[in-house]
Amino acid sequence: MCGIIGYNGFRDADIVILNGLKKLEYRGYDSAGIAIIDKKQQVYKEIGEIKNLEEKLPKIKGTIGIGHTRWATTGGVTKNNAHPHLSTSGKIAIVHNGIIENYVKLRENLEKKGFKFVSQTDSEIIANLIEDNYKGNLKDAVFSAIKKLEGYYAIVVTCEDEPDKIIGARLQSPLVIGVGDNENFLASDIPAFLKYTNRVIYLNEAEICVLTKKDVKVYNKDEKVVDKKENVIDWNIQDAEKSGFPHFMLKEIYDQPDTVNQVLRGRISEIHRNINFNENVENLLNSNISSIQIVACGTSYYAGLIGKYIIEKFTDTPVFVEFASEYRYFGLKHESSLVIAITQSGETLDTLAALREAKNSGCKTLVITNVVGSTATRISDAYILMQSGPEIGVAATKTFTSQIIVLLLIALKLGMIKNKISAVQLYEYIRYLREIPRTVRDVLNKNNEILDIAKQLKNAESVFFIGRGVNYPLSLEGALKLKEISYIHAEGFAAGELKHGPFALLTKSTPVVVIATKDATYDKILANIGEVKARGSQVIAIAEIDDTEIEKHADFVLRVPGGSGVLPSIPIIVVLQLLAYHVADLRKCSIDKPRNLAKSVTVE
Amino acid sequence: MVKCVILAAGEGKRIHPLTYTRPKVMLPVANKPIIEYNLLNAINAGLKEFVFVVAYKSEMVRNYFGNGEKYKVKIEYINQGEPKGTAHAIGVVERFVDDFIVLCGDTIFGENDIKNILNTKNSIGLYKLDNPKEYGIVETKNDKIVKIYEKMDKPFTNIINAGIYHFDKKVFDFIKKTDRSPRGEYEITDTINMMTEKSIVSSVILKEWRDVVYPWHLLDANEEVLKKLDEKIEGTIEKNATIKGKVIVGKNTIVMNGSYIEGPVVIGENCKIGPNCYIRPYTSIGDSWHIGNACEIKNSIVFDNSNIPHQNYVGDSIIGSGCNFGAGTKVANLRLDKNNIIVTLNGKIIDSKRRKLGVIMGDNVQTGINSMINIGSFIGNNVSIGPGAIVKGVIEPDSKVM
Repeated sequence: MCGIIGYNGFRDADIVILNGLKKLEYRGYDSAGIAIIDKKQQVYKEIGEIKNLEEKLPKIKGTIGIGHTRWATTGGVTKNNAHPHLSTSGKIAIVHNGIIENYVKLRENLEKKGFKFVSQTDSEIIANLIEDNYKGNLKDAVFSAIKKLEGYYAIVVTCEDEPDKIIGARLQSPLVIGVGDNENFLASDIPAFLKYTNRVIYLNEAEICVLTKKDVKVYNKDEKVVDKKENVIDWNIQDAEKSGFPHFMLKEIYDQPDTVNQVLRGRISEIHRNINFNENVENLLNSNISSIQIVACGTSYYAGLIGKYIIEKFTDTPVFVEFASEYRYFGLKHESSLVIAITQSGETLDTLAALREAKNSGCKTLVITNVVGSTATRISDAYILMQSGPEIGVAATKTFTSQIIVLLLIALKLGMIKNKISAVQLYEYIRYLREIPRTVRDVLNKNNEILDIAKQLKNAESVFFIGRGVNYPLSLEGALKLKEISYIHAEGFAAGELKHGPFALLTKSTPVVVIATKDATYDKILANIGEVKARGSQVIAIAEIDDTEIEKHADFVLRVPGGSGVLPSIPIIVVLQLLAYHVADLRKCSIDKPRNLAKSVTVE
Repeated sequence: MVKCVILAAGEGKRIHPLTYTRPKVMLPVANKPIIEYNLLNAINAGLKEFVFVVAYKSEMVRNYFGNGEKYKVKIEYINQGEPKGTAHAIGVVERFVDDFIVLCGDTIFGENDIKNILNTKNSIGLYKLDNPKEYGIVETKNDKIVKIYEKMDKPFTNIINAGIYHFDKKVFDFIKKTDRSPRGEYEITDTINMMTEKSIVSSVILKEWRDVVYPWHLLDANEEVLKKLDEKIEGTIEKNATIKGKVIVGKNTIVMNGSYIEGPVVIGENCKIGPNCYIRPYTSIGDSWHIGNACEIKNSIVFDNSNIPHQNYVGDSIIGSGCNFGAGTKVANLRLDKNNIIVTLNGKIIDSKRRKLGVIMGDNVQTGINSMINIGSFIGNNVSIGPGAIVKGVIEPDSKVM
């Protein structure tokens, strides 16, 4: 994710844009830049947080400009790769959020025509592409340019030959218009301009808009003017940063259809039936791997347990999952094994220590993280980014689903390398991956049903989560989410283990959440439900949509879209997240900042 | 063409709970928002082009006044962005004005005074006040401004800065040089003190001036405006209702038998008044009200869409929109020892300097039967008061009093 903004009005653009970028910092903060037209394009960029740019920025005159705060995806964190990007003549400036999938080809074509490139980003081609199509009308040039782009984007463009307008366009990435008095705004998100106006226009897919100081025109993809309605936002600034959601956690749960797309972008190719990682990762996976150790803490550890199940299934390679804090002291370190460390922040102290130990012992190391440039990315042989944008709620939600998807991609890639899955099977999985955002949306639409079930749990002293196979680590994660934000004692168990001890704790007032998907152990899990019911406990089942058997056994049923094997896992996670969220909200807990917990644990 | 800039951005934190749901300038006095009096007076003084500096709940101002068509003038809006003080608010209009007068939208200025300011370039409006402790006081010499001082415990003069100015482009150079004051804002008084060192700033003594700092000041402003209004009956008065003095009754309002109304009183549209109620002087009643049997209201402002339906007493009070009084709910407005009423606002103890003050009630408050509201109470929005409950002090929004 990145944050972009454009301003055209009467105020000093540098101040408006910097203020706006600060409000978009949650979308990324590894580098930032602005371009303001004061006769010529004045461009300033800096690596690091926006504060850094602000400190080094000279006073710029001019009341029209654009700005960008970056969360690197294509191209490292450098000043040249930071936005805004200028066209070769320096007249056209753009900021971009998204990924241009055909940029290599476009870049080659433009280079043949003599256009110069100074960055490694996919975004820079947009500036030159617009210039290539420029015949004295910026709007027409933007229309011609975006027709050639494949991928997804939100862009804001200015041109020093037309210093009275800014142009915005979007496809799948967010961009909203802020309508002011004698001024207009464009931004990835409303808080960027809410200080100056609370009237917004939402741009639909593939629309473009032209903003002068006085008016706003929106065009559809056929270049026809569209009538748009203004919406008055009545949130205060604090609400707005959560896009109107009461908590960051809920906002981040609802972000998941998008973040799933982000993780997959550029990594799966339906046409070539392939999974692509960057060179370092591919080299690592191609080296002869005899076993895999996954090290992680907390939620990431549970992602690792799910990873074990998936990777073993697709590759026949033994996978061991260890807590980073244990592995660093006691874990066996084999030179031929691949150590995968999972850390959202890339700074978790125990995981970093485990990584160093592994490296010192000669193991190959791969990191799955959300933060480019973090310590973990620097000390490992290779890393895979989740590309999910910063997560603010302490309870991990969107980064957990991203971790699982990265592990699934690794499993599929390794399966291919080791010839354990066929191209046909791979194709089926790729198509399934493409479907995940939709299935997640289906679950989000059931929010009210989940809220009703949460009411059953809110007064419980203790809640058990049970499942078999991949549903066992999901149960652990469900229990972790519930206990960390609602403070209700919760435990996850392998369903078959219940009778070996935990049964002693079951009472009428211990609700049990059962994850029952139609796999080989479906009959067994029904039997487990029977055992639980016999103790008088209430059973809440999470089951597939076409499962008609389950309501004969459970007291309440929550449905998720079906599929075989690991496929329903992601929707189930979303159900568990919403369930924990609503229970905590009903109990009026401090959801985004639970007591005693921190987002990134950098102490031992 | 001289433009008129009206500062209308403020939230009015000292007027909570009334300003939780509307900006300060939109508070009604005699059934019109405060700022409308300034607009009308400025129009009568000859001004035709207006710039409203807005921010907090700006859509309410914009929706009410639009582009000025219904007043046959031009109104432009500029969003202040951040509330960073009066100098900052004036600074944002730089690109829209040359020769202009500025006035604070939450203070009511008279037509003739506006005219005098308009006719005196580079001037400031001053007002003589008996107790100027709360205001910036002004040192003058031969009608020229020497310096404006911050609030003083022992002011050396009773001349205060009234909040209306006539400036030209030069003021913006001084505004850019103005530093933040100790309370962290860019204050126009600091700007003016710089100007008086470099150029001549004239003074204009105002005859009328009504400023609203605390909620009960609305009652004073209301009284003042009502005194000047002319009688106008557009609704229906039943045969046995009594109307004394100047009373305005809006369209579709019915005043039923046995009601006794002593002007000056203004009643809005679509109200049902009576039967058998007593409305005493200096009361403004908004639109769509029901005031029922055996109710008495005096010296109060009640906004739109509320009910005081049965056996209620409301005196020296302000009632927000959408409120409903249970049968028998009464408001006390006088201390037994007849001393000034002291209130606590935002944690500060303030002498209201009024002997009589009832309740300041936000929007959507429901009271149960026979509940009692003590003197100088502040009740937030969406509060429910149970039957027989006694309410005093400050009640936070969304609470329940049982």
